Amino acid sequence: MLQALREIEGGIQLSLNVAARLARLRRPPVLDSFFRQVYFTGVTAAGGVIPRACGLGVIIIAVMIDMLDADADLAVKILLLLVFREVGPLAAALVVILRTGTAVSAEVAMMRVTGQTRALRYLGIDLYDYIVLPRVTGCMLATLALTFYVQFIAVAGGLVLSPFIIEASFWELTNRLFDLFRPVDFFYSTIKALLFGYAIAACCCWHGLNPPDLTNNAVPKVVTKAVTQSMMLVLLINAIFAYVVFGILFFGLVKANV
Amino acid sequence: MSELAVRYRRKTPRHDVQVTAPKGAVTHVHLPDDDAKAHFVTALLKGRCEPGEELELFGQPAATAPTKKRDKMRSRVGAVSPIVGLMSNLNAWENISLPASYHGAPPLPEVAQLATDVLKSLGADPDYFFARLPEELGLLDRKIAAFVRLLVAAPELMVFDALEDGLSHGECRQAARFEAEYRARQPKGTVLYVDTREES
Repeated sequence: MLQALREIEGGIQLSLNVAARLARLRRPPVLDSFFRQVYFTGVTAAGGVIPRACGLGVIIIAVMIDMLDADADLAVKILLLLVFREVGPLAAALVVILRTGTAVSAEVAMMRVTGQTRALRYLGIDLYDYIVLPRVTGCMLATLALTFYVQFIAVAGGLVLSPFIIEASFWELTNRLFDLFRPVDFFYSTIKALLFGYAIAACCCWHGLNPPDLTNNAVPKVVTKAVTQSMMLVLLINAIFAYVVFGILFFGLVKANV
Repeated sequence: MSELAVRYRRKTPRHDVQVTAPKGAVTHVHLPDDDAKAHFVTALLKGRCEPGEELELFGQPAATAPTKKRDKMRSRVGAVSPIVGLMSNLNAWENISLPASYHGAPPLPEVAQLATDVLKSLGADPDYFFARLPEELGLLDRKIAAFVRLLVAAPELMVFDALEDGLSHGECRQAARFEAEYRARQPKGTVLYVDTREES
């Protein structure tokens, strides 16, 4: 219980520190670290892992359409409600947790264990500036980019695939999608993706900077804890956010106002 | 009596460690064991002492110094020490330029010039050296990188912590030139060699 409270307090402190230091992103080494993070999380992930995540999205659509015996209208609603709003950000978050979350937590924990964080302090370099800020902001931006990527490919894939399963043309489905699409869907997934990226990076940085001990054995423990908690945080944010914005958590999908 | 750069005392049940280093002089300190050495170097780098320790830096007692003053004190001290290692994910140039780049001073071209000059005089090839990650460098090269990074900050007190540890005779001769390089840039600086007493 005490540990959980400590983690919550640490998370809040870390968040406030990151928010207060945003202007320090302009410092060259912090900016370099930010670009490295964006490149690692956003660019290198795009090549191999994201198409697979998108394939998963397309399969979900095919199964749902088939299971629900959907018509054109329901197929588009599934694309919008399930794929665009939920699967897109969640798939991107999953990729970020598995690739970046593990890497960040292991790297930061290793820096801590090998005394590199202490060396930074002795050089007068603030750990929040150099380690946390670029990773958190970089991860937020990259998660957003990955989310757009997944959403676009998964929805486009769904639109291409659906005519083979239901009696509706690609253009019919596309027109219906644009009719139903509202800006709130875009803002909803944008804010959610930013929150996911933030939660993952902040959680992994916090655990990396606070290993249970300063031996090499601490690194795998840190990674396990960081990844598990990141996943939980993402699911929690998703549930709370969906309830707050659309009220679908308790009232069911059919009540969603689309 | 000459002014002191460092006055340190740590009393434990086993040892009573006392160190004094006059300003501008070269002082060799042999401490009883690694623990005592780590405590001493850490106290200097932090500008702070633990219970049982007393530290005065540049005539100012560290224990009562307010945070701002302590930070200023700390910025006047630098150490080539295993405690202040290199960043493993940055190459030698990025390591050397990191503090200057972060603090915004001195300008990077000046840092590059200084680093190139020092590396050449220590017999290292700057082009080869700069692009290497710490794990690709030998122990002496890592110490050289840490030393050059410190020279950029121009500390008034330079601490060489177990400088010769792990080096061959030839490398020790090269490392011995660190002091001359430091002197050339900081004629009034204080040099402190810290090591543990050799086992008899």
